[in-house]
Amino acid sequence: MVSLATLAQEKANDTVTKARTERYGVRLGLDLHRLTKSFYDDNYKGFEIVGDYRLTKKIYIAGELGNEKKTVEDDQLNFTTKGSYFKVGFDYNTYQNWLDMENMIYAGMRYGVSSFSQELNSYTIYNTNPYFGQTTITSGTKFDGLNASWIEVVGGMKAELFNNLYLGFSVRINYLVSDKKPDNFDNLYIPGFNRTYDGKFGAGFNYTLSYFIPFYKSQK
Amino acid sequence: MRKIKIIAIALLLANSFWGCEKDDICTEGTPTTPNVVIEFYDALNPTNLKAVTNLKILVPGYADITPSGVSKIEIPLKTNDVVTSFEFIQNGNDADTANNNTDVVTFNYTKEDIFISRACGFKTVFQLNENNPVLTDGDAGFWITDIEVTQPNIQNENETHIKIYF
Repeated sequence: MVSLATLAQEKANDTVTKARTERYGVRLGLDLHRLTKSFYDDNYKGFEIVGDYRLTKKIYIAGELGNEKKTVEDDQLNFTTKGSYFKVGFDYNTYQNWLDMENMIYAGMRYGVSSFSQELNSYTIYNTNPYFGQTTITSGTKFDGLNASWIEVVGGMKAELFNNLYLGFSVRINYLVSDKKPDNFDNLYIPGFNRTYDGKFGAGFNYTLSYFIPFYKSQK
Repeated sequence: MRKIKIIAIALLLANSFWGCEKDDICTEGTPTTPNVVIEFYDALNPTNLKAVTNLKILVPGYADITPSGVSKIEIPLKTNDVVTSFEFIQNGNDADTANNNTDVVTFNYTKEDIFISRACGFKTVFQLNENNPVLTDGDAGFWITDIEVTQPNIQNENETHIKIYF
C-alpha cells in the first residue's frame, strides 16, 4: 500500500513538474519461436521478421515477413510445403503506460498473403479392407505456384526489457480468404497461416525480440 | 513491469501445450477405397438372388474369404497392381474336397488415386477394362454360367458392380 501510494505520488508530481514526451519510431525484430524451432525440429526451417511503426499515440502500423519450409508426417500423408509470406496491418495499444514506460497490450489486425509450393513425398492408400495389405506410394509430385490470402485478428503484448529492447508475444486467429488449391491435393499447411483445418479458420503465434529505433519525440 | 513479466511467462507456459494437437481421424462412413460389390443370381431365374453353397474365395498367398450363405459379397482389388485374380470355389468351404468346383475370375483395370482429406489421405478408385472380369476355368468345368458387369467404374460401394449367374 505504501509503495502504491508513493508511486501515485510520483506520478502526480511527474505530471506537474516534467513535460513528458512520447517517442515515435520504428521497431524491428525477429520471431524467436520460428528461429528456435528451426534448430530443434528437423521438419521445420523458417524465420519471421517483424516490424512496426508508431503512427499515432495508440496506433502502430505493423507487419511480418517470413519464409518457411515444413514437412508434415501424418499417418496417411507425408508432404513438404515451402514458401514466403507477408502480413501487414495495425496494432492498437490499449495499455495505459505510467511515466515514460512504453509497454503495449494490444489488439490488431493483419492481411496476409503467401506464395508457396508443395511436394507430396508419399502417401498411404486409405483402405478399410486391407486384405492385400496397405499400399504406400512414394509420389514426389510437385505442386508449384500456389498462393493464399487471409485475415488475422491479433492480440498481444510487448514489454521493454532494457533500453529500446522489447520482448513480445502475440496470438492470432486466422481466417482464410482465398487459396489456390493444387489438383488432387489440398493446402494442408500454408506458410504464415500455419496448419489449415476443415473450415476457414487457423491459428498462430509468435514470440518476438525487437529493437526500437526512435525517430522523433512529441509532447504527451 | 513485473506484472507484464508474470503474464508473459504465464502465456509462455500456456503456449507450450499448444504443440500437442489431436490428429484428425478419418471418420467412419467416409467413402474410401471401394470393394467390388458382387451379387449372385439364379441362372434359371435371373431376377432371383441365390446364395452359393459353401463358397470359398481364394487368392494364392492370401487368407481365404469364406462368405457363408450370402448372395452378395464385397471383395477388394489390389491397389498396387492393375490385375487381381480370384478363385471362386463352389463347395470349397466344406470338408469334402471332391465336390469343389473352381472358376477363376480375373479383373484387369486401371486405377486412380484420389485425394480425400488430411486424415483419410488418398483412396484408389478403379475402372474395369472392357470385357472384364475374365472368367476362366480352374478345373473340370464351370459352375458360373454368366458374368454381367453393371458398373465397370468402381467408385464406391453404393451399387452392385458385378452380377454372377449360376
